[in-house]
Amino acid sequence: MVLELQKPRPVWQIMFSTHHTDVGYLYTVTSLAFLFMAGVLAMVIRTHLFFPGEGVLISDSVTFNRIFTVHGSTMLFLFALPFAAGIGNYLVPIMVRYKDMAYPKLNAVAFWMVPVGGALVWLGFSDTTWVAYAPYSIIRAPGPAADMWIFGMKILGISSILSSINFIVTILRCKHPDLPLRRVPLFAWSMLTVSLMTVVAMPTFAAALVMMLTDRLGVSGFFNPAMGGDPIAYLHLFWFTFHPEVYIFLLPAIGMMYEIIPRFSRKPLFSQGSGVFAFVMLGLIGFASWGHHMFSTGMDFTTKTVFMIGTLAAVPASGMHVFNFLATMWGGRIRFDAPMKFMVGGIALFFSAGAGGVLNTAMPLDFITHGTYWVVGHMHLFLTGTIAFGFVGMMYYIFPLFTGRMYSEKWASIQFILMMWGTVQVFFTQHILGLEGMARRVYDYPTDFTSWTQLNQIATVGAWILGASFVIFLAQLIYYSSKGKEANMDDPFKLGGKYYYPYQAKTPHHTGY
Amino acid sequence: MSHSEHEAPIHRTSPRRMGKMLAIIIGIQIVGGLLFFSHYDFWNSYLPIAGKLQEQGAITGGAAQGQATGKTVNVSLKFIESPDFKTYAFNALSGQDRNPEIHANVGDKIIFDVTNSGKSFHAFAVTDSKEGPGPAIEGTTVGTADNPMKPGAKGQATFVPAKAGEYYYICAVPGHREMGMEGKIEVSEASSAGATSGATVTPTGNKVEFSLSFVMSTDFKEYAFNALPGQPGHNPDIKVKSGDTVTIHIKNDSKSFHSFGVVTDPDNPTNVLWNSAFKSPDNPMKPGESGDVTFVAGAPGTYHYICTVPGHATMGMDAKFIVE
Repeated sequence: MVLELQKPRPVWQIMFSTHHTDVGYLYTVTSLAFLFMAGVLAMVIRTHLFFPGEGVLISDSVTFNRIFTVHGSTMLFLFALPFAAGIGNYLVPIMVRYKDMAYPKLNAVAFWMVPVGGALVWLGFSDTTWVAYAPYSIIRAPGPAADMWIFGMKILGISSILSSINFIVTILRCKHPDLPLRRVPLFAWSMLTVSLMTVVAMPTFAAALVMMLTDRLGVSGFFNPAMGGDPIAYLHLFWFTFHPEVYIFLLPAIGMMYEIIPRFSRKPLFSQGSGVFAFVMLGLIGFASWGHHMFSTGMDFTTKTVFMIGTLAAVPASGMHVFNFLATMWGGRIRFDAPMKFMVGGIALFFSAGAGGVLNTAMPLDFITHGTYWVVGHMHLFLTGTIAFGFVGMMYYIFPLFTGRMYSEKWASIQFILMMWGTVQVFFTQHILGLEGMARRVYDYPTDFTSWTQLNQIATVGAWILGASFVIFLAQLIYYSSKGKEANMDDPFKLGGKYYYPYQAKTPHHTGY
Repeated sequence: MSHSEHEAPIHRTSPRRMGKMLAIIIGIQIVGGLLFFSHYDFWNSYLPIAGKLQEQGAITGGAAQGQATGKTVNVSLKFIESPDFKTYAFNALSGQDRNPEIHANVGDKIIFDVTNSGKSFHAFAVTDSKEGPGPAIEGTTVGTADNPMKPGAKGQATFVPAKAGEYYYICAVPGHREMGMEGKIEVSEASSAGATSGATVTPTGNKVEFSLSFVMSTDFKEYAFNALPGQPGHNPDIKVKSGDTVTIHIKNDSKSFHSFGVVTDPDNPTNVLWNSAFKSPDNPMKPGESGDVTFVAGAPGTYHYICTVPGHATMGMDAKFIVE
């Protein structure tokens, strides 16, 4: 699959290789497979909500809960994280000019934990929701599904810690001596930032998972109110990991924008230093805002104020990124090929999602929006609008490197239009639904509220459009990777610059045996 | 470094290899799907152990239903709303009938006949929490917030209080309780048990003194205070007034270890009232040891002064401590 300069290798040799391009390729393909699987679940959920009161597709609320739980867990842990790790594996060693990742075998181990964790999550099909709040998850969520979910998350957490350690060491210790750290390309910087964040944030969740498991076994009562535990403690542990995790999902997408925007603007990056600074700032500020997920749990006013300011502090750093992109594009000879289209669309939606986030962190508004579809809309606007746009754009950009072939610019443009349209239609509508008071995670809603029905149906049509765009994406990936035009490997996008050429490929595989 | 430096031709992805990859992915998905659907009921088959323990009552969270031993109280309640949907209540929007207060004793069976006479969705529940929509005591709900009673729906719920205190019957739909759908249930101790609340009171300053000694028969089968059963002065009743400062001179005249305390329930010697414990089962009085304990007698009622070493009270070291 991976571009092979010498004779093609057997598939098993790619699968058991420890070379960074092979592992990166495996990561990418696995994460895309999970993306489409979780996407099917999303389509089922939205189609179900198109017909209130009829139980179309999903016949009971527990199944509904199971579906959105697995949809959420998959999109976050089996798509967003592995995809970033995949592209990172592919590009970071090239960017820091090293022959491979620092620990190739560790790299392969980290990858092979992903399918195992994925299998546990998908086989159990737990109904805890992806946040698995106590006390439901400890006294009521049926086993073995919830236990499998806990172990799956545990394995995926360890996998992301291992790959983070690998990225940190590769970037800090193995970069070429001629390359000062501040000159390391910003995508590698984004991977460095998120890796450091993962190493700090993830152990908290790992601890919470162990506590949850022993609580489920009835031997401890950390989060079990009947045994004197505190469910709010779980929220603190969970969000201490998962607010930083929001930035861990986001920053690689921003890094990909830094990779693509200057090339397609055919102009040097406006400011490397401000990009580095903004990454580091976001990496720090990400840890100062977890409490904003819990404003309605009875926090005192001072704590809420601190977390509100901590959240707002992410705005300047995010703004620095956006201005950096705009200043890079300003006056450039921009080529709107597919990757650039997705990146520009991603910036626009990043701005909208960020604006919604700022409103959300204002305490008074948070009490209105908490637990409603507003939150669903906000979170998905970030994840689809910014992160998935960045990832899809990057996928098109890196497509020639993976396959040696070109995708179809026409179909990519159609996908872009549908994806942009669908994203706006689903998730903007969900914001309005939330303000009208519709709770999130509901299986059904009364037909008497005609505006709920109308807005849900608008959102569902949007979701179908979004789904169609991803069907086009999948069809393209399959068709053009085997039938596409052969790419000019020196400059497949005719940008007049250098494409990543895997110069290490002369000895492309030191297979792990 | 550019591509022209490599002599070997570029091998690009072929349909065959793409097919192999798809076959691997789809194959894994099919195998996984077969595993999942063939064991569909297995994946969600049991409650976590913590949940099972809770159901068996090993862990009790909040209030629970008790044993029905007393009379039956029938209550009929209607959910009603003002025409502008701003005021919610049971039975009447204002006046005496609004949210009627229910009085019952522990062990009484309260049967609620609930009707949704409003135009909106409601759910009935009894809770001991002073605010918010729950948690409901198990078995006292008619409908839930997720699956509420529709207008006109009727239902019945039974509540048997296990402990005295204040309970509330509410609408469990979030927000409705705050808008007025909340009524009080005052549960007091059943009269036969006497009013032994065990509450502490402020001392009145009146001081009284008693002397007690632990005695045992030579065969270690009979335990008592002051004198063995059948002899004069066996297990004397101690009568004090509520608020009295009581001093007891205790002597261990037996050959075993003992400790002293005043309790409500002699079967539960760990719950010693009013700091009246002298020594403890872990660190008891040795034979021949003596000492004083001083405490303030609490709320009126009939209590027991016992030996708090487990088992000794049932063997006879159990006498009345009456607070007037």
